[in-house]
Amino acid sequence: MKSSLIRPALALALAAGLAGCGGSDKAEFVVKGTITGIVYPGAVLTTNGMEIAIAPPATPGAPVNFEFPNKLEYGDVYNVVFKSEPNNQACFTPQNTIPNFNDTAGRLAEIAITYACAVDPYSIGGTITGLTADGLVLANGSTGGTITVTKPAAGVTTPITYTFAGPVLFGTTYGVTVLSQPTGQVCTVANAADTMGAANVTNINVTCVAAPS
Amino acid sequence: MDQLLAKWTKMLSDFSILTAQLRFPARFFGDVMKSSYLRAGAALACAVALSACGGSDGQLVLGGNFAGVTKTGLVLTNGGQEKAINPPADGSGAGSWAFDNLISTDDRYNVEFKSKPSNVSDCTIENASGRAGYHVYTVYVTCTPNFRALSGTIGNLKGELVLVNGSDNVTLQAGATSFKMANVAEDSPYGVSILRQPADQTCTVSNGSGTARQSDISNVSVTCTP
Repeated sequence: MKSSLIRPALALALAAGLAGCGGSDKAEFVVKGTITGIVYPGAVLTTNGMEIAIAPPATPGAPVNFEFPNKLEYGDVYNVVFKSEPNNQACFTPQNTIPNFNDTAGRLAEIAITYACAVDPYSIGGTITGLTADGLVLANGSTGGTITVTKPAAGVTTPITYTFAGPVLFGTTYGVTVLSQPTGQVCTVANAADTMGAANVTNINVTCVAAPS
Repeated sequence: MDQLLAKWTKMLSDFSILTAQLRFPARFFGDVMKSSYLRAGAALACAVALSACGGSDGQLVLGGNFAGVTKTGLVLTNGGQEKAINPPADGSGAGSWAFDNLISTDDRYNVEFKSKPSNVSDCTIENASGRAGYHVYTVYVTCTPNFRALSGTIGNLKGELVLVNGSDNVTLQAGATSFKMANVAEDSPYGVSILRQPADQTCTVSNGSGTARQSDISNVSVTCTP
């Protein structure tokens, strides 16, 4: 191994062996990665003139591996972005992760892009008519949060508007009920329950009247 | 304590001036440093200098995420510091947290419970202890609440009915006489309402809303007419 000829020969043999695996004598890089959170169809990824459609996994949200058909050469710049996101979802680099969708092939030994997709959130709310006392608390089920509505300030004419702090995801149900009635009043909720569509909901209207004595 | 510190510091600085000015022979200096009195002083001065750089008033965040917190009462400690984690307004029970005071590089930390909310079966801390190299955002606190069953009765249902409790929903067929929703965490509200009425019928819910306490909820009643 001390011979200066043997070492290059060995290196050459090694390179030839590697090239045999890869099918080319140039370093080539597969553009691939993983996306988590996909629930709906419609995702199309693109880079370097290539496009691939990504179907939702059998288990909604489970990690999906992707791989572009053509390999890149050392030094090629790639920028893997969504030509279209999954329907009703937004995709981004996962939290606490360094974005790695835009880089130069060969800077790292392997390209492994990470994306995460989340279902679009929308707000729910509506108007409140006839509220003249404090104590009204509305709830959206057990996990959708509550909102406490105080009586409007003097001079403010009802209806007033309200919006829950917590969002409701597309395709998820919501149901607003009166958790606590205002003092001396009874409130009812119209359009209380539905399945979230692709827009904020503003028609969950509450009407309050004097409690029957 | 402050007076003592000042005294020590002054003594040490006097000593440095003295040594600088008089240029004691090394041997004498060595002898002087052997004095435990002066060595303690030097150590104290070092500690003072270090605390000026970081000490209790550091520059690194110590915190992380929490989940399952739906009631006040969760208090974390690290050394003498305390941090109460209150349930977020959005009802998710989850969010991020951090101690109000910062820690310093190389500080060891060990986050422990001082108290837990009364409505949980237990809480755990992941990555509770370590040594700060940079901001610490990895102390994860997870509480598991006590859960209560949510169920009720249905009268006179002649078609398909969809009930919801917020994001939880259940579809019931004609003839059903009872229903069961997903369990509700203790101290969480519930509110059963109708997402879809059966064809040609109108159903109403009574005792549909409330707050889960120490027992299961079974008194929700749905009645359909005609």
